[in-house]
Amino acid sequence: MLTEEIPVDAIEKKTCIQCEVIIDAACKYCNSCGARQSPAVEPERVDRWSLLQQAAIFFVLFLLVCCASKFIDDLQSFGWLLFFEVCIASLAVAFFAMDWQENKRLLQWPNFTISKLSLYCGIAMLGAFLVHYSVGWLNVTIFSREEELYSEFSGSYYADFLLIFFMAVTPALFEELGFRGYLLNVLLKVADKGQAIYISAFLFSIIHLSFISLFWLIPFALLIGHIRVKENTIWYSIFFHFCFNLTSCLFQIL
Amino acid sequence: MENSIALTPEPAAKCDACYTDVLNDDAFCANCGYPVKGTEFEQKTFIANQEVLHLDLGEYNDKIKKAGNSLYYLSGIFLLNALFIFFTNKDEEDVLGVTLPVLILSILFLVLGGYSRKKPLACIICGLSLYVIVQILFIIADPMSLVRGIIFKIIIIGYLIKGIKSALELESFKKENNIA
Repeated sequence: MLTEEIPVDAIEKKTCIQCEVIIDAACKYCNSCGARQSPAVEPERVDRWSLLQQAAIFFVLFLLVCCASKFIDDLQSFGWLLFFEVCIASLAVAFFAMDWQENKRLLQWPNFTISKLSLYCGIAMLGAFLVHYSVGWLNVTIFSREEELYSEFSGSYYADFLLIFFMAVTPALFEELGFRGYLLNVLLKVADKGQAIYISAFLFSIIHLSFISLFWLIPFALLIGHIRVKENTIWYSIFFHFCFNLTSCLFQIL
Repeated sequence: MENSIALTPEPAAKCDACYTDVLNDDAFCANCGYPVKGTEFEQKTFIANQEVLHLDLGEYNDKIKKAGNSLYYLSGIFLLNALFIFFTNKDEEDVLGVTLPVLILSILFLVLGGYSRKKPLACIICGLSLYVIVQILFIIADPMSLVRGIIFKIIIIGYLIKGIKSALELESFKKENNIA
């Protein structure tokens, strides 16, 4: 029994991968031989659970260093700060270098344009400007205090230089190498692109150990993660992070 | 001109396995591969295999659901804590500064629990990481908190780890079995 007439071009067709009969493109199975039409799924080449365990080790080690440097009163000297920075840098470099053959492509900068770099740096500085005033308002309103970055440098002859080095240069380099370099690359093998960016952004945000700051840390990390995946290089993220932190430092210095 | 139009035949029946339309000429359902014109044995075997597939799927979803529920429990516990802190310190000047972080944790666990059905892997990994960080902070503040409620902590962490494993396995299982 025939019900309606429609142009043949309107129905996309394909050939069955097994019996080669012409079938509708939308068919999941051949209605003649019953063969599944999607290509056979290749067995997974990477053990995703092992990769996640490796990423967890990186995260826990990074977390322990951050907790020790932030909360243990006996470890709040300049010498210890230097020690913790070396620990963080070593962790980031070591994990990044574990899959050097694959990760080294992130250190290339194939589509470099000065206009794009300026755009990202501009967005970062604008973001830092907004965060500075909103965080300042929150600190005064909720905690009745004003935040000061690395007050242990105050009085030092090189205070401004040290502040920029420890606040802007080293975090931009080593946090990016660790989180957008190593961690995000592992997560991209474990989950789809969206989930990988989201997980790396969330882990990056909570490692700062300030739950109030999550309101700006999560969007900030999501944006950097997106830039890293879109541009397929780590350099734009490093410059973005550097400009953001540098702007925050300048607010304190000037 | 014989190829210029096609006539779409009226569906002859519904597939016994997935209930989509099948045509008179179809030997197999185009949606699930059910042998419409197969022997009774072939049809029963197909249905049995489908049921096994759904049982496996249910098992994975069950573990993910338990992990999601753990996130809800954590949200509830932190909410109760926030209320307790607020009402016992409401006359103090920095009551908001103490209560707000705990309240934020409660909201975070609630959001992660809510989205754990849609994006289980991301939400459960984030939930577990957040829980571990909070526990480390508690231990730094008071080392004795490590042993306090240790069984509950182990159960929560166990559910979350099982949830992550199941989310990984579920994705592979869906790919292998052509399930959307």
